[in-house]
Amino acid sequence: MLRWFVGMLGVVLVGGVVGSVRAEEGLALFTDRVRPVLLDQCVKCHGGEKIKGELDMTTREGLLHPGENGPAIVPGKSADSRLVKLIRHAEEPFMPEKRDKLSDATIADIAKWIDLGAPYDKPLISKPGVARGHAVVTAEDKNYWAFAPLKSTKIPAVKDKTWGHNPIDRFILAACEAKGIHPNAGTDQRRLIRRAYLDLIGLPPTPLNVDVFLGDDLPTAYEALIDRLLANPHFGERQARHWLDVARFGESHGYEQDYDRPHAYPYRDFVIRAINDDLPFDTFVKWQLAGDEIAAKNRQALAATGFLGAGTHATQITANQAEKERYDELDDMANTTAVAFLGLTVGCARCHDHKFDPIPSKDYYRLISTFTSTVRATIVYDNQRGVLPQPTTKPGGVYPTTRPGATYMMICSEGIPAMRLHTQGPDFYPQTYFCKRGDVNQKDGEVSAGFLTVLESAPEDRWHATPPEGSELAYRRTALANWITDAKQGAGQLLARVIVNRIWQHHFGRGLVATPNDFGVQGDKPSHPDLLDYLASELIRNGWRLKPIHKLIMTSAAYMQSGDYDEARAAVDPDNVLCWRRPPMRLEAEVIRDSMLSVSGMLDERMLGPGTLDEAMPRRSIYFFVKRSHIIPSMLLFDAPNSLTSMGTRATTTVAPQALAMLNNSAVRTWAKALAKRVADKGGSEGITEAYRLALAREPDADELSEMSSFLADQTVAHDGNAELAWADVCQAVLSLNEFLYVE
Amino acid sequence: MPSPHLIAAPDLSRYTRRSFLQRTGAGFGSLALAAMLADLGLLTPSIARASAASINPLFPKPGPLPAKAKSVIWLFMNGGQSQVDTWDHKPGLTRHDGQKLDGFDSKTGFFPEQVGPLMKSPFEFSRHGHSSTWVSEIFPGMIRHVDDLAFIHSCFTQTNNHSPALFQVNTGMSRMGYPCVGSWVTYGLGTLNQNLPAFVVMYDTLGRGLPKGHASNWASGFLPGVYQGTALNPSGSPIDNLQRPADVTDAGQRAQLGLIKRLNQHYQQQHAHDAELAARIESFELAYRMQMAAPEALDVASEPAHIQELYGLHEKRCGHFAKQCLMARRLVERGVRFVQLYSGGMENERSWDGHIDIAGNHRQFAGETDQPISALLTDLKQRGLMDDTLVICAGEFGRLPLTQKSAKPGRDHNPHAFTTWLWGGGTKGGTHCGETDEIGHKAIVNKVSINDLHATILALLGIDHEKLTYFYNGRNFRLTDVAGNVVNQVIA
Repeated sequence: MLRWFVGMLGVVLVGGVVGSVRAEEGLALFTDRVRPVLLDQCVKCHGGEKIKGELDMTTREGLLHPGENGPAIVPGKSADSRLVKLIRHAEEPFMPEKRDKLSDATIADIAKWIDLGAPYDKPLISKPGVARGHAVVTAEDKNYWAFAPLKSTKIPAVKDKTWGHNPIDRFILAACEAKGIHPNAGTDQRRLIRRAYLDLIGLPPTPLNVDVFLGDDLPTAYEALIDRLLANPHFGERQARHWLDVARFGESHGYEQDYDRPHAYPYRDFVIRAINDDLPFDTFVKWQLAGDEIAAKNRQALAATGFLGAGTHATQITANQAEKERYDELDDMANTTAVAFLGLTVGCARCHDHKFDPIPSKDYYRLISTFTSTVRATIVYDNQRGVLPQPTTKPGGVYPTTRPGATYMMICSEGIPAMRLHTQGPDFYPQTYFCKRGDVNQKDGEVSAGFLTVLESAPEDRWHATPPEGSELAYRRTALANWITDAKQGAGQLLARVIVNRIWQHHFGRGLVATPNDFGVQGDKPSHPDLLDYLASELIRNGWRLKPIHKLIMTSAAYMQSGDYDEARAAVDPDNVLCWRRPPMRLEAEVIRDSMLSVSGMLDERMLGPGTLDEAMPRRSIYFFVKRSHIIPSMLLFDAPNSLTSMGTRATTTVAPQALAMLNNSAVRTWAKALAKRVADKGGSEGITEAYRLALAREPDADELSEMSSFLADQTVAHDGNAELAWADVCQAVLSLNEFLYVE
Repeated sequence: MPSPHLIAAPDLSRYTRRSFLQRTGAGFGSLALAAMLADLGLLTPSIARASAASINPLFPKPGPLPAKAKSVIWLFMNGGQSQVDTWDHKPGLTRHDGQKLDGFDSKTGFFPEQVGPLMKSPFEFSRHGHSSTWVSEIFPGMIRHVDDLAFIHSCFTQTNNHSPALFQVNTGMSRMGYPCVGSWVTYGLGTLNQNLPAFVVMYDTLGRGLPKGHASNWASGFLPGVYQGTALNPSGSPIDNLQRPADVTDAGQRAQLGLIKRLNQHYQQQHAHDAELAARIESFELAYRMQMAAPEALDVASEPAHIQELYGLHEKRCGHFAKQCLMARRLVERGVRFVQLYSGGMENERSWDGHIDIAGNHRQFAGETDQPISALLTDLKQRGLMDDTLVICAGEFGRLPLTQKSAKPGRDHNPHAFTTWLWGGGTKGGTHCGETDEIGHKAIVNKVSINDLHATILALLGIDHEKLTYFYNGRNFRLTDVAGNVVNQVIA
């Protein structure tokens, strides 16, 4: 010990003697020329209001702290110092961020100061620096477009008064006209009805549907069609699937045993019903966060809480992993809440203040603290008597699915026995702590529940709710639900922006914000910010009802336009960001399968209830049981998500195994045969025509009819006169056509 | 041409295909496809520049850095192989045999109440090769390869339970939901043979189950689904939809394909600018070829008798794993990018998870794998595939040097140390990197995290692990998260 001390002292002394002159020069440089620059250009984000990248420049110690990316400087070696590389723009991120590059002279001063040992005379600012994880959210942060209040925008003026049906079109047209282009005219009626059916209910129109629509000469025919489709129960089945992607909905725990959650489906059914009933979106959100507190007697509100527990959960937890697993689970609940409702990625703030968005770690821990005592549980809901005492079962054990007059359902709540698997730890811990670097072994004080500072313009007690006398519920989630839907002083305006963007995305294939799960700084900017705000304002003004927004979009000229391509306009806007055409889009996995079932006449239209893993089942694909270790292969093949984390946008891939499925899959073959049975009796041309009408909502042209007819004849010969098989070949070819798999 | 793909963080879901192309540029393979599509009359000249990589994300892209390895075979010793009984010989453990380990945290393993004293290896060890490597008696076949193996004795994970550890070794994260290394590699490099799956997984065919966490171990997480591993079905047709329906003949299917193509081209005339539609036309041709290519690639019966014997294909003890090793060689030979083989099924006696009777358990599983793995290395080498193929052998964690008390002594899970070996693909044979303590309990010298291991694998494939990124929900994700150092000691 003594030896070590002497040795250290020696180093200090030697260093001190040799360095004294240099230190003096360095200090002078610092006070005269370096400090003003650091104060002016750097310290706001690095030690003042924030400590971005864990770099606190207010002191020399801070500058030497390893932080996230290693120390910012190497004293005496400016060339090796990261700080110098960043300000020279030799490495990214270029600094100062979002400002002009420093002058060469200033950079040279800073480099020389580092070469001289980077001495400080005193900290840059006298107040103590901001503690890590507690960045201050500023007024400027709140002015970022997504966090700012909705603009009350005027509907823009346009030059062409002849194009367009409703306000949406004025926004679209004005943006196009500003670039000197014009959107397409309306598409033909057949394409339009097929588009509307596939988009709204996820099934193709029948030949009768098409005939009725084409035969309706009233100017309101299309609007009436949209009204019918919005009222069709299949509407909920189609639109719910979009929300289930975002909610990472699954029906098994994942991890070791991947036990089933046989009573998770009531959440899926809640989403379908809510969409069909046009449950106001703010209520839809509130119930998912706190339906057990807000409307404890309402079966749908209870089922809605399944949202919180829809993620994965380790089925086998060892003693020394239990606490980390619980924090992972809180992270899943909070992160999915923020991503799904607000398009914000708060998970980044688990280990450090969010690098890009104004979300301090402190806010992250306040948010996860909301769910401290929230657990998954199975309840029995009796239609007469409400919630009955909870059944118990072994891990992975199976309850009867129903009993007369009652339903078992998985909910998330507090104060009731948790669904318990193989764990050596408790179901939850009574307190949530701030964990440095996200490490449960580095706790730094208890945290109480709270919200995201950047989205509040009132003291938080405004949203708090007091539990009723004797309640075991903390009502923290109710407070969260109040804040997140408060369109005046809470997060409600962003909530509205995010959901109208999702709706737009599913109708057009691309959101007004192309990153629907990220409205933060890293996400894309809105292509039509005024239109986004207009739609969000309309949603709130109409009592948060979504169907009017769907209708507004569906009846716009922007939506109804053709897919016609044009080189000149493509040169101006190759990505179609301005929405001047409607490109063909590949259908999603569920719609492809459901369409094949539908045209084959085999679709079982019964709604709701438990799902199944049987790939041959004839119900709509939303009723597949979502077992995480066994996602239905044909769904995955066409880019359905794996339900592990929130997915805002699906990929659209084109790979050979998809074609292989169309050629060889036994289910596809079965549906082709069933379609053949529906049309073969009509004989050659008429049968082929009927197959086209069923699958493509149109009749074949002469070339197609001739191709198909000769193929039918050839295949009949090849099958030794077996016309049934030849017709199956014809019908399978129709189902394999690009036109069937795409919507124009 | 270097692939800007690895730097620009493409996100297939985020951009339209065209903007994707503009952001990432077109790699060689993609240009080739675009040209091919143009030749077929499927693309108008205005979009001949459209990148096939933007449509078919599996088209090959060269690694941005010079590298030897083109393919990877990962031999996953499922359940957790005991380092002190295999490749980390510890005379110190023999000396302390039977003693209590002071200060031991009884929660280290899975069964805190069954912790016993230190236990020497039940196996004999002897030294072999120029590298003087200690080899356990249970690996007689591997003796001849020791000078080609690069050992890392200091691997560790952060979790003591199977599925989180499997997830960590496969994805870098112990939580469920992240893309596995095979997905990252195929995302980064595409694949060399479009007629075969890019990333193939084979698990136990003796009905002993799947690794804990099941298909999540080869899932693509938030990467597009095309990058997930294709697990071969243990019985029946190895790949879904590979066999024609019974009532469809080859000639019939060819005729049908011709019809679909003509009608699609007819439709395409209205959409000559939509490259995706053109690519789908081509995908039917690829599918037809895959139908023949895949069964051919997996047909081990067509191998000559001496090769079948070399692997032990007809040995009861190891035939099942021999078949998979031989299939792995045939797949990488044909350009498959990533193959992962699991030895053992789920847990306990069904895998290397020797909680009870470590001696019997490891003898059995070494018996199942020693000859096939040894044969695989010999075979790859004699075919000149050693440089092209990186072979990795690792499990999800190691085992404790202590006894787990039971009728026959076992060993419990040990996250603190396990040995991984690498072979070929530009690795440096005969090296031993890192060390554990005297008894093989914890890695102490040159500790190598899973992030480090992944960074090293990517480096061997020519990828800078810090630059292989994917933008998802607000941030650029990496296989190595925010960590990872390449273990240069094992690279030649």
